[in-house]
Amino acid sequence: MLFSLRELVQWLGFATFELFLHLLALLLFSMLVALKVDLLTQQLSWWLVFVPLFAADGLSTYFTAIVSIRLYQENDKRLAVLRLLWVLTVLSLKLVCEVLLCQKLAEQDRARDLWYGLIVSPLFILLQLLMIRACRVN
Amino acid sequence: MSLAQRVLLTWVFTLVFLIMLVLKLDGKVQWNWFLIFLPVWVFDGILILMLAIKMAGRCKPGYDPRNGSPDLRLRTWYLTAMLLKLGFCLTLCAKLEKLADVKLTFVCIPLWTMLLGALVELGLYIFPERREV
Repeated sequence: MLFSLRELVQWLGFATFELFLHLLALLLFSMLVALKVDLLTQQLSWWLVFVPLFAADGLSTYFTAIVSIRLYQENDKRLAVLRLLWVLTVLSLKLVCEVLLCQKLAEQDRARDLWYGLIVSPLFILLQLLMIRACRVN
Repeated sequence: MSLAQRVLLTWVFTLVFLIMLVLKLDGKVQWNWFLIFLPVWVFDGILILMLAIKMAGRCKPGYDPRNGSPDLRLRTWYLTAMLLKLGFCLTLCAKLEKLADVKLTFVCIPLWTMLLGALVELGLYIFPERREV
């Protein structure tokens, strides 16, 4: 659309398969949110609803670890370390945001001090990092 | 547009939307949800306009379809995806503003259709169909 798949892969630093994984997780997550809000308000906990997102983060980390090890073995050490560092940074920022949001939704009475500005702050950091990376890729 | 310009465009609209969303969720502003989604409307509007212009360019006399641009099927899918996203955002805003009493499942149907389409598109790219030699 605005970006080709090649440009997206270059910019975000994720493989096509990882993008597929995260999209699938988003689809399952949105389905579970709708299920929780419309039908199972009490039975389904927010931590369960967020499971697809956590699973996608875990699988993506595993995939990146394997790719980095392969790159390292093929003597592409600089690329292996750079890729590992970038993906781990992005995934950890995403994970922090997800955990904070989940905590806020699950414990609304006890998490009053946890305001949304704080929850979204990892995403603001991620946006800055993505802008810097876009300049490098360009 | 160069990659940097496109990234900047996406970045600015995402940043403004996130800031407005946080302000609304934290109760700092009492704006209408349709106003909070203003960056989304503008960004989607720009994208739809760009797509429509590119698709209209194919109707010009003397257009050569072999000049390397993505085919009409792909562009039609992009336009459909944009309209589905717009439909999802509009119904979500209507629900949040309590203008319509619809279940979240129905609100999410355009989003799910769009995500399924994107997954099929990516899936075809990752697992290309095997052609007989």
